[in-house]
Amino acid sequence: MIALAGAKTVAQFVLPSEADAQPYTNFCGHTWTTGNCPAPTGLPRIDRNGYPVRASDGVPVDDLGRPVNSRDQPINAKGELLLNPDGTPVTPAPRTRVCQTAGRDHGLDLSLDGSWYRCCGGHVRRIRDCCGETNIRINGDQALTGYCYAGRHVFCCTYYDTSVPC
Amino acid sequence: MLAVSAGLTAVVAGIAGAWSPCGLSMLDTIGSALGDARRSMMLLAVATFTIGAVLGGVVTFGGLALLGELLGGDGQLRDVLAGVIASAAAVADWRGLRIAPQIRRQVPERWRWIMPLPLACGLYGVLLGLGFTTFVLAFAVWALAAISVAGDSVSLGIIVGAAFGVGRAIPIACLTPQLGSEDGQRRLDRISVDPRLWLGLRRVGALGLTLCVVALAAATALGNSLGPKLTTLASSATDPSAAGGLVAWQSIGGGGVLQRATGAESPLPGDLPALGNANVAWEQGADIVVANATTLATEATVPLPARATLSALAVSASWLVISALPVGGGAELVAVSLADPTTSTPISTAPLAGEIGRPAIHGSDLVFSASSARSSAIIEVDLATGTRTKLHATHANYSLQNPVLSGRRLLYEKVGRCEQKLLVGPATRGARSRLLLGLPSTVRRDPGYQPGYQRNWDSASHCPNRAAGPGGKITLGTIALDGTNAYVTEYPADVADARIEVVPLDRRS
Repeated sequence: MIALAGAKTVAQFVLPSEADAQPYTNFCGHTWTTGNCPAPTGLPRIDRNGYPVRASDGVPVDDLGRPVNSRDQPINAKGELLLNPDGTPVTPAPRTRVCQTAGRDHGLDLSLDGSWYRCCGGHVRRIRDCCGETNIRINGDQALTGYCYAGRHVFCCTYYDTSVPC
Repeated sequence: MLAVSAGLTAVVAGIAGAWSPCGLSMLDTIGSALGDARRSMMLLAVATFTIGAVLGGVVTFGGLALLGELLGGDGQLRDVLAGVIASAAAVADWRGLRIAPQIRRQVPERWRWIMPLPLACGLYGVLLGLGFTTFVLAFAVWALAAISVAGDSVSLGIIVGAAFGVGRAIPIACLTPQLGSEDGQRRLDRISVDPRLWLGLRRVGALGLTLCVVALAAATALGNSLGPKLTTLASSATDPSAAGGLVAWQSIGGGGVLQRATGAESPLPGDLPALGNANVAWEQGADIVVANATTLATEATVPLPARATLSALAVSASWLVISALPVGGGAELVAVSLADPTTSTPISTAPLAGEIGRPAIHGSDLVFSASSARSSAIIEVDLATGTRTKLHATHANYSLQNPVLSGRRLLYEKVGRCEQKLLVGPATRGARSRLLLGLPSTVRRDPGYQPGYQRNWDSASHCPNRAAGPGGKITLGTIALDGTNAYVTEYPADVADARIEVVPLDRRS
């Protein structure tokens, strides 16, 4: 318990807290100016595999922004299948990785490379750069190296909220 | 209104063409080459010239309209561009400015010597009716070309083209019979030495173009406020189907309903009605009944699929298509030939309900959507040959839904994270479609940044057509199509309040 409390104190001391919001761009933990990756519901929050989730609650969503169940079928707020007026299930939509889809939309071959971790909202957040062999970022100007591997640059950024408290 | 004003302008622009070297040559060729001695030959030449001119006009302006329909895209942007071109042309014609760009070419003179006169005049008519193969005598001709593209309605292009051809023929028909007389020659001389009548016609054309601009502006305004101006066909209803002037739908909490061309509605003795050619099909008890749509006399009875729930039907003169949800899960689509209702042909299966959309059929051409978490596509199957074609497909960002056919015209929905679109276009692979109706998406979207943090470069997280928050209240549902209208189910969060709206396919003409 003492160790945990100590670790938390150290973490709060070392990691920028939400009170240090000002340097962050668009969302907590993002220190650079590269723009968000396009995502179905706005903020580019993803799950551990790079698929989109709703930023407010982490619910998985399809490419249209509709919450989906574990079989990628659209569901309502109660978790029931979304139905047409005639009672049949609504047509599903593709559910694709945010980074790769951003690349496809812009004619680039993109993937999630390196990442960095910060404390946001009481949990550790993983800032994940969507990288490729590009000199242009989604902002339209020169791409930065960011957390990308050698020779690659950040096109846009995403984040993944871990369940690790901080 | 646009069709009328553009047609009248085209007639005037065609008449103005008489002041071109070609137009004057035609007058003299047909009118004086033979004189009164062979009047019947002259009248035949006038007739072939008229036919050729109309044909040429239809080819040019109808072709441009077809091009506009194939291009699809933002119809309102094209309306604005056409409006600007028409306005500029109206000003230029009103002021009698020198025509530019000018096409300094004439029809081949040798045809007059090597062919029978009616044949030569027919071909001359085609060339002059085409409009842009020889001298252009009014800016209105260029403006009408732009309007034909913007109208994205082939019928509008045909009207403009035919009117232009008629306009080119009017001076020939009126003057050539008189050219054998002195009075007629005096009139021809007056035309060739005094351009005031030509300039006056250009001013009339300018007024016609002004009317076209007003019509385009009205169409754009209508497009901008299309949602509230739709006509409601039926409330508490879904799953429309249309054919031969009839419309059928499923009443929510009730049964099928059939509306005849007179507007009279009558209940059908079953559910999930579908219309096709002269047939109507519905679910009744343990069977699917196919009946004559006019008399409702039963033509065939097909048992419902075993251990499955019927989800949709489609019917044509020779085929019945059944979409069902098997008890164990998944979805399946089968076709039954009405010539042999005892055997069915499997068309498609899917592991999850909803992955196969509502089918639609025209003749033997079946279309349905096949969507999953990996892709979304509109598939066409020729039931006569078994040939499959992927008309449209996407692997990300969109869901393609509810395709229906009317002839070779395809109506479908393309739903993305920002917008729901009702699109219409040719039923050919990858063909471009035009927007018929657009609504904002209904999903809740965040503002693209976390409040309290520095906001910058978050444009990729926004939708240009809607704000953050809950989004639109209306979801587009199943649709139907006939020759003149699209029928679309719109439903709010409470699906019991679903209604079927009528969307005219051609809001301009």
